[in-house]
Amino acid sequence: MSKSDWNSPAAARRLARRHAAERRFKLIGLGAIVLSLSFLALLLFIMLKNGLGGLDWQFLSGSDSTDASVAGVWGAAKGSLLTMFVTLLLSFPMGVLAAIYLEEFAPRTRWIEWVEVSINNLAAVPSIIFGLLGLAVFINTLGMPRSSPLVGGLTLALMTMPVIVISGRNAIKAVPPSIREAAYGIGASKVQTTFHHVLPLALPGILTGTIIGMARALGETAPLLMIGMRAFVVTPPDGLTAPTSVLPMQIFLWSDEIDKAFVQNTSAAIIVLLVFLLAMNGLAIYLRNKFEVRW
Amino acid sequence: MILTAVLLAVLGLGLVGWYAARGRARLLYTGRGSMHSMPGYHGWHVALWILVPALLVWGVWQAIMPGLVGGVVLASPAAQALPADPFLAGSILAEAHAIAADPSAVAFNPEAQALAEPIREAQTRFSLIGAAIVLLAAFAGGAYGFTRVRPDFQARTHVERAVLAVLLAASLLAILTTFGIVASLVFEAGLFFKDVSPIAFLTGTHWSPASAGGDNLSDKFGAVPLFWGTIYIGAIIAMVVAIPLGLMSAIYLTQYASARIRRWIKPMLEILAGIPTVVYGYFAALTVAPMIRDFAASVGVNNPSTESALAAGLVMGVMIIPFVSSMADDALAAVPRAMSDGSLALGATRSETIKKVLLPAALPGIVAGVMLAISRAIGETMIVVMAAGAAARLTADPFASMTTVTYQIVQLLTGDQEFNSPKTLSAFALGLVLFVVTLILNIVALRVVKRFREAYE
Repeated sequence: MSKSDWNSPAAARRLARRHAAERRFKLIGLGAIVLSLSFLALLLFIMLKNGLGGLDWQFLSGSDSTDASVAGVWGAAKGSLLTMFVTLLLSFPMGVLAAIYLEEFAPRTRWIEWVEVSINNLAAVPSIIFGLLGLAVFINTLGMPRSSPLVGGLTLALMTMPVIVISGRNAIKAVPPSIREAAYGIGASKVQTTFHHVLPLALPGILTGTIIGMARALGETAPLLMIGMRAFVVTPPDGLTAPTSVLPMQIFLWSDEIDKAFVQNTSAAIIVLLVFLLAMNGLAIYLRNKFEVRW
Repeated sequence: MILTAVLLAVLGLGLVGWYAARGRARLLYTGRGSMHSMPGYHGWHVALWILVPALLVWGVWQAIMPGLVGGVVLASPAAQALPADPFLAGSILAEAHAIAADPSAVAFNPEAQALAEPIREAQTRFSLIGAAIVLLAAFAGGAYGFTRVRPDFQARTHVERAVLAVLLAASLLAILTTFGIVASLVFEAGLFFKDVSPIAFLTGTHWSPASAGGDNLSDKFGAVPLFWGTIYIGAIIAMVVAIPLGLMSAIYLTQYASARIRRWIKPMLEILAGIPTVVYGYFAALTVAPMIRDFAASVGVNNPSTESALAAGLVMGVMIIPFVSSMADDALAAVPRAMSDGSLALGATRSETIKKVLLPAALPGIVAGVMLAISRAIGETMIVVMAAGAAARLTADPFASMTTVTYQIVQLLTGDQEFNSPKTLSAFALGLVLFVVTLILNIVALRVVKRFREAYE
């Protein structure tokens, strides 16, 4: 029996073994996905099971309290909104302007290389380090009010800006050169070309990146822990310098409570936070699908 | 108050200047080619001349006014009653400032009440002076800008130069942030290393900052148990979970799944990456940790603790899965199609091709992805804060409670202690170590990825 005899029982066995290995490998891959997704399903199921009962108007409109049955999430949600407002106000314009400069105007010099390297690294720096920066610079050096949406927003803005710059650059890069050449061709200056033609075409992509960056900032806890945003606040904050809590921080604080009744509150607050995040990501996907142009 | 109003007034003036200059430029327009710039650019040019000098003056005045007010108040007769002790005097002055800002505030020291009136007077006076200077600057700038509204004036060039300056400033903010991180970490860590030798910090095995005091501080700040806990949880347990699951899902999605399944599964996997870490932390503490404790008890571990390295590492690993998966996805996609086609044409099955051709070819990219994943895992905070525990110990027992660098940073900085104690400063030293390690991991990984991409281009 030669080795090339494909009809021999030995060859058939070998083939069967190889095909079995193939099926096994495929099954392992499928198993990995199923396992990962079932973990997600378990997480969502447990939060829904524990939290759905606690979601009522009292909970959505109330503020923190030592009594689990009257504690609510609105105070923290308002704190989150104020903080996100500061973050957006700073990181969006700064991020977009920096992206425009780096993509359209920057000369290829050593300086600019440094800017690019530091942006790429900032995007990967652990978030807690931004908290240390906020604590050392905004609170201890500049003496800004602790625990306020202002400081929280500034810290998160520094963290979000690199994300916006990177996605902004990709969106600007995706605008084809022919658009720019057409604008130059009818006499537009470089600044006019960028602001009148390239930027509007890149804007959907930039917005998608911004929303994703903001969603990440909204769920962030560690840097805010550093700057002391763990105030026990029984009334919703009424300004950018008032002490406040934010949604993820409220979850963290409630999870620390010994009273078992807070398990329901924590899970319900998690549901609220996840709904916010889901809505933001949904909006980002919608924007991408609606306005994305394939050149 | 007054200065805020002035700010609004300046903005209003800028608007007026914009309209006026644009209108004037329109009047000058006599036909095609008669002017260098469009009327709008003349408007912007004048508005910039109004806003920029006025806002600069405003900022400078905001910065120097407290000093001026303080000087006048200290010279006033009411300040003669201040005690000689500078610390006490400072607290009285601070109180007086609070009363001046809000008359309903209650004075603790009687002297403060007397000082409030001079402070308020001085503040009003200097605010008015400042307002006058700011408005003067706005008018002077505006007038100068307005004289230049002429047909041959190149307003657009000037405006565009200003735009470029703004763009450059925005991109320099990134460098400034990096610089701020490095400077604050190095500065505070430097203060810490005055008390504790860096060698003792990096090689000591005893960590108990709570009992820090006395002279031999160096014995209390040995960070090796923290480094070990961080590596054990973030780089070992989490990776044991994340690498096989992430890699195999990437392989299945790119090599086996149909386009339709991929379109559904990939976003679902990415949800895992979008869930806030505090939610994972709560999940780890509420569900996973008790399960692991019961499991440990059933396999005969004595008195297992609720907080375990395994619970934190496991959940962290799940969090990292989509990250590893998308990095592996990119690495596999970068391998040229011809390589796997060649293998398939020789009769290898798909799994043989993947194991013998694709994976070896994509290995540098996958390794770089794993390095980035590790840098994420060791910087992760909330999961370990909520599930890993505070005990700094050197052990390989996954059921033991273990602590990490990030956990200790949180622990050291969220109490109510004075800022400059070695205890709080040590958090910055830990932060510095964390920053340097993640930086190195990122730089090396990005370099490997770059070289790997170039190899196949």
